[in-house]
Amino acid sequence: MTLASPSRPPRTPARVYRQTLWLLTSRDLRVRYSTSFLGYLWSVLDPLVMAVIYWFVFTQIVDRAIGAEPYIVYLLAGLLPWTWFNGAVGDSTRAFIKDAKLVRSTRLPRSVWVARIVLSKGVEFVLAIPVVAIFAIVYGAQLTWGVLWLPLAVVLQAVLTLGLGLVIAPLVVFFRDLERAVKLILRFLFYASPIIYGLADLPDGLDVWASFNPLAGIISLYRASFFPEEVEPRAVIVAAAMSLLALGAGALVFRRTVRAVLKEI
Amino acid sequence: MNDVVIRVQGAGIRFRRNRRGRRSFKDLFAGSNRRARPNEFWALRGVDVEVRAGEAIGVVGRNGQGKSTLLKLVAGVMLPDEGRVDVHGGVAPLIEITGGFVDDLTVRENVQLTAGLHGMSKAEIDERYDEIIDFAELAESVDTPYKHLSSGMKVRLAFSVISRLEEPILLVDEVLAVGDKAFREKCYARIDELLAGGRTLFFVSHNERDLKRFCTRGLYLDKGALQLDGSIEGVLAAYDSDYGVTAV
Repeated sequence: MTLASPSRPPRTPARVYRQTLWLLTSRDLRVRYSTSFLGYLWSVLDPLVMAVIYWFVFTQIVDRAIGAEPYIVYLLAGLLPWTWFNGAVGDSTRAFIKDAKLVRSTRLPRSVWVARIVLSKGVEFVLAIPVVAIFAIVYGAQLTWGVLWLPLAVVLQAVLTLGLGLVIAPLVVFFRDLERAVKLILRFLFYASPIIYGLADLPDGLDVWASFNPLAGIISLYRASFFPEEVEPRAVIVAAAMSLLALGAGALVFRRTVRAVLKEI
Repeated sequence: MNDVVIRVQGAGIRFRRNRRGRRSFKDLFAGSNRRARPNEFWALRGVDVEVRAGEAIGVVGRNGQGKSTLLKLVAGVMLPDEGRVDVHGGVAPLIEITGGFVDDLTVRENVQLTAGLHGMSKAEIDERYDEIIDFAELAESVDTPYKHLSSGMKVRLAFSVISRLEEPILLVDEVLAVGDKAFREKCYARIDELLAGGRTLFFVSHNERDLKRFCTRGLYLDKGALQLDGSIEGVLAAYDSDYGVTAV
């Protein structure tokens, strides 16, 4: 046993952050996969069931004039990112509450509690991508050069989600009502975003407003893999600007409130 | 003299008096202005302490006089509203030690997770893993989910992990009150060992015997201020004369 005063080389803050983020993310995934029988399938099942429902409604019941063919691939390309967004923003309401004991007993960089939610939901999203690939092959959707937009879409979504999480997580500690409000807003946002439809399906005039929803631009980038005509430059630029704005606002709110959060939890 | 490892300068922190009170956005964003707002009180104010490497310090005071708060400021899990708290070197906080453990993961996974969160590298964890399990006397339960451990076992495991962090500063907040006698003795022996190895100790306790056993210097906190900073005997005597008897 070593008793001499330890002289471990000091770890850089960036390394601490990375290691912590990785530990917490793998903890989340391990807990989820070790406690449930279906494990990985759950991350896929939710968007898949939703996709099948909307596919059934809009192709078998209603004669649909929205989206593009094959509609199931079109749906999945919007629903998987939505599941990530919805899960991460929804869970960020409980970022501090759920890990209160850990927050109280470790001096980890505080934003890690939000970042780890965005990351673990993001990992699940990435793991679910093969499902879209399978459906694309089965339904004969052509992969296009638009797939090159995918990394940008992921980055923009991560930035946007992180920014929103950094605003929501500390505020919920003081205003518990916000937790339910966020759930409600998310439900509204699901229909207000071009997930089961595309921007082009909106009536004239409305599509301009809809493109100010950052999710519109981001989802269009995801869809570009199979439907390159979906990409709308204005929506993408707005999405990029809004995402950076959200991150800036998140950083600001988080820094101003973290002191009070630590006292409250 | 050794280097200063903990420097607390004019540190103060305030809390809200009642949790139910209304909180406005304005309050929240008001930053660290020095004026105490009407429904707030200073839990600690104007505390100045310098601690040198290798010192063993006992913090004494009645309940609610800021002992644990001071410890949390040093641990960096709370931030002061005024003044500064500088800590040079890593801290092994024995505060809410079972906090990082996850019910559904096994003992082994929990050791890896908690040790990692407290800053141990993977290689270090592998190296000390057996020691940690031996100390906690849990060799037969490494694959048991944490939730199935008894509460005594949980504390044993937690103490074992945190006390192996090999950090230069050790913060102890009354955690030793739990656990059976034999294990408590083992914990004490471990703390002695760490002190002999040149660690700095920050110890909060109501137990006079423990304080005298480990500490050489004492801090007496009362009414949110540092009343006395001196030898542990002097500090305990002052505390006794203010409040009659010391809880043993």
